[in-house]
Amino acid sequence: MSPDMIDLLIKSFWETCYMVFASAALATAIGMPLGVILTVTRKDHILPNAAINSVLGAVVNAARSTPFIILMVAIIPVTRMIVGSSIGTTAAIVPLTISAAPFIARIIESSLLEINPGIIEAAQAMGASPMQIITKVLLPEALHSIVLGVTLAIISLIGYSAMAGALGGGGLGDLAIRYGYQRFQMDVMIVTVIVLIVMVQVMQSFGDWMSKKLNKNKL
Amino acid sequence: MIELVNVEKTYYSKAGDIHALKTTNLSINAGEIFGIIGLSGAGKSTLVRCINMLERPTAGKVYVDGAELTSMNKTELNKTRQGIGMIFQHFNLLASRTVYDNIAFPLEIQGLSKDEIDKRVRPLLELVQLETRANYYPSQLSGGQKQRVGIARALASNPKVLLCDEATSALDPQTTKSILDLLKDINKKMQLTIVLITHQMEVVTEICDRVAVIDNGEIIEQGNMVEVFTNPQHETTKEFTKSVMNAELPEIIKNMHLTEKYVENSKLIVRISFLGNSAGEPIVSGMVKKFDVDVSILFGNIAQLKDVPFGTLIIEISGTHEGIDSALEYLHNQNLKTEVIGYES
Repeated sequence: MSPDMIDLLIKSFWETCYMVFASAALATAIGMPLGVILTVTRKDHILPNAAINSVLGAVVNAARSTPFIILMVAIIPVTRMIVGSSIGTTAAIVPLTISAAPFIARIIESSLLEINPGIIEAAQAMGASPMQIITKVLLPEALHSIVLGVTLAIISLIGYSAMAGALGGGGLGDLAIRYGYQRFQMDVMIVTVIVLIVMVQVMQSFGDWMSKKLNKNKL
Repeated sequence: MIELVNVEKTYYSKAGDIHALKTTNLSINAGEIFGIIGLSGAGKSTLVRCINMLERPTAGKVYVDGAELTSMNKTELNKTRQGIGMIFQHFNLLASRTVYDNIAFPLEIQGLSKDEIDKRVRPLLELVQLETRANYYPSQLSGGQKQRVGIARALASNPKVLLCDEATSALDPQTTKSILDLLKDINKKMQLTIVLITHQMEVVTEICDRVAVIDNGEIIEQGNMVEVFTNPQHETTKEFTKSVMNAELPEIIKNMHLTEKYVENSKLIVRISFLGNSAGEPIVSGMVKKFDVDVSILFGNIAQLKDVPFGTLIIEISGTHEGIDSALEYLHNQNLKTEVIGYES
């Protein structure tokens, strides 16, 4: 590989990191409250509200069932409105965030539902308000499980970010397609794939380690 | 201290309404340990949860320390709940918090400062003998230790009432004993009113002052624990108390051929039960001295009902017909419960 190619590879690597982590952070910021609302508004939970629960659930499901590549094109006007352009790495963050947020919401919902209802009951018996139950019981108790879920979301985002190349988003996936696939540069293809595999491995190991550290159930 | 007036709880469902609690009236005095006993599904869990409104009654009123909980809004209710501690069968501790932070939890909810919290938590750790475990996580503790944390957490906000939901059902007998001793201790020291639901009769006889027996959503019997246990009225209560009171006849006596009437040379078999002090009086020797009879003891048992010993003795009286009759009359005149089992020939 030429030195130019290596420079391009490094640039693409940082673009991928930027897209993945920025969209993961934003998606978590959006998905966390959604996941909490999906959980607490359930029947038999602390703030039952069938209307909110079913409307929000339907929106989340709709967003999740739209294929990413279609979502990305469909929301171009929104992207342009937010970023000012629909092309580029920053622009790719918008569709990535919008597709990951509902996924994270569902992951957080299922983590929160794993909590023993007895603990919630104990908090209620102590006079905790619903907000206190969310911030002091639900989220801390589920944190180790949420970390694993967000890790899963980050790994899917690494995969999706490859598609962002279609919007000129750049990144490793884009590099592999343009140079490795379209220009038959097998070496570029192999190197990018290896970098992606390593990224996923490192992410998963870090997530597992972090979750284990936070999990006080098995000491 | 706690007053339930015409409280009812019905779960409405398409499959049919479930009357978990039929019209219930209950009054629990300040400073007493009140036991609610019943089988699983009898409604005792629902009853205790109506006291702190974890289950909102479908009818009736609930008063705790003079305040009506059933008419409160959520904020008032949360404030009131801070004065009612609760412990659970499965402890329900926060797994992500240390022992110290679990005990601090209710105080954090009340918005106390770190210093104030520390001042409350330290003595509680001492009270439940977990000073050395302050930085442990619940998963590193034994069942008994977890329940001690549960108790300390429930006491953190200086409650007037402690509700115990099957608090010892998941513990071994020895640990149960130590938890009950702790409950007795705090009941005395802090003048705490304790309401305890359980299906373990030993727990009731160990610490309760008064009991209520609940069956099928209804309180079928209530009163002083010793009275209910020594003189159960309802069939269900008899069934419950049988095991601890040894009310069943021992096999050897069941296997005897007994007749209801005296026949020539037969011996009388009676069961006498005595409470507390009367156990000290020389009844048996009195009988032998006064009448021309011999007495032999077939079976004896003493059950401890909180501080009161309750003894049962099955004796065989032999002698002349007149002697046996006068001995029996003598027994009936004593401060005892005398029950003729039959004549053995």
